[in-house]
Amino acid sequence: MSLLGNLLIPAVLFFALGFLARLVKSDLRMPPDLAKMLSIYLLVAIGLHGGFALGKAELAMAFSAVLWAIVLGFALPLVGYALLLATRRVDPLNAAAIAAHYGSVSAGTFITAIAYLDNAGVEYESYPLIMLAVMESPAIIVGLLLASWSRQKLLATAPVAGAAGAVMNNGGDRQLARLLHDAFTNGSVMLLIGSMVIGAVSRPSAMEKLFPFVDEIFMGVLCLFLLEMGMEAARRIGEFRKIGVVLVSFGVMMPLVGALFGILVGQWVLGFGVGGTTLVAVLGASASYIAVPPAMRLAVPEANPSFYLTLSLGITFPFNVVVGIPLYHFLATLFAAA
Amino acid sequence: MHELVPEKLVTIIANDVFEDKLVAIVRRQKASGYTIVRARGAGSSGEQSGMLDIDTNIKFHVIIPVQGLSGLLDELRGLKRRGYNMTVFVSDVSVLVS
Repeated sequence: MSLLGNLLIPAVLFFALGFLARLVKSDLRMPPDLAKMLSIYLLVAIGLHGGFALGKAELAMAFSAVLWAIVLGFALPLVGYALLLATRRVDPLNAAAIAAHYGSVSAGTFITAIAYLDNAGVEYESYPLIMLAVMESPAIIVGLLLASWSRQKLLATAPVAGAAGAVMNNGGDRQLARLLHDAFTNGSVMLLIGSMVIGAVSRPSAMEKLFPFVDEIFMGVLCLFLLEMGMEAARRIGEFRKIGVVLVSFGVMMPLVGALFGILVGQWVLGFGVGGTTLVAVLGASASYIAVPPAMRLAVPEANPSFYLTLSLGITFPFNVVVGIPLYHFLATLFAAA
Repeated sequence: MHELVPEKLVTIIANDVFEDKLVAIVRRQKASGYTIVRARGAGSSGEQSGMLDIDTNIKFHVIIPVQGLSGLLDELRGLKRRGYNMTVFVSDVSVLVS
C-alpha cells in the first residue's frame, strides 16, 4: 500500500483531524479521562484477541519472541543514550530519561500498525503482541540504571551536585526496588498480560461471544483514541523551539534505528513474515508515552519532562503513525525479498 | 459564638505521580487528613492538560497545626531540592471545631 493509502485509513485521518483541530484553536475538547478509558478498551481488546490466537501458537516460538523482546528492550535504550550524548544537547540524566522512552513501546502505535496491516490485507503472526507486553518494562530498568550511573559520574566530578546526590543518597535502593515493582506491575502491562491470559485460556465458544466487543467496535474506538492523541501531539508543537532542531531530529532518527533493529530481529532471527516483521519494527521504532514518563518523572526528577514528552508524543508518535508504519512495512517487504 | 482554631493550610501543586510521596510526608507529619483535587495548568514542565496521566497535576491541600508547619515544609523543601518540581504555598486559616 502506498504512503497515501496509509493516510486514507479512518484512524489516521482522525489523528490528523485532532491535530488540525488543535492547530486552528478549535474548542473541541474530549471529556476528562476519555483517553484513559479508550486506551483501557484497546489494551483489553487487543489482549483478548492476541491471547486467543496465542492459545493456538507454538510455545517454543512464543518463548523465543519473549527472549528477543527483552534483548530489544535492553539494547535500544543503550543505543539511544549513546546517540543522545553524541548530540551534546542534553546532559546524561536527560539522556537516560529520554533513552528509556525509546526502548519501551507505544501500544497506540502498535494498534495503529495492526489497523494498517488489516486494511492492507497483510497477515501477521500473533507473537509480536506478547513482545509488546514484555517490552514495556525492560527499558525502564535500563533507564534507571543509566540515570544512577550518570549521577555517580556527576558526583565523582562535582561532589556538591546537590540534586543529583540527594536522590542516590536518600533511600536510593529502596526507591529503585519500588520503581522496579512499578515497572512490572504497571497498569497497561497488567491489563495487556491479563487479557492475553484470559483470551488464551477461555473456551473458544465463550470467546466468540466477546467478538462483537473486541472486533466490531475496535476500529471506531481506535479512531476516537487517535483523535485525542492528535490533539495531544499538536499541543506539543509549541515545545519544539525549546528542545531544538537536533533533538527533534533525534525524534525522527531514533525510530528508524529502532525499526531496523526490529526488522533484523523479526525477519532474520524469529523468521516472521512481512506482517509480523513490520509489527516488530514498529515495536522497535515506537516510544512510550504511558508507562515510562511517570517512572522517569519519579526516578529522574532532574530530567526535564517537556524534553521526553515532546519527543515521544509530539514527534515520534505522529512520525510513526503517518510515515513510519508504511515505511517499515515497505522495508520489511524489501528484506523479505532479499 | 463559634469556636475557630487558627491553623495553617499548605497547598501543593505537583504532578499526579508525586501523590504517594506527598501522602507519605503528611502522614509522617501526623496530619489528620488531606484533600486532593485534579488540576490543569502550565508551568516549567509544559502544559498540564489533565487528559493523560502524564499530563495531570494535582492540588494537594493539608491543614496542620502551626507547630507542625516547619517539619512539613522541611520535607517538602527536601523534595524540591532533589528536583521534584512543585509549587508550595501556605495560608492562614481558621478551622471550625465542634
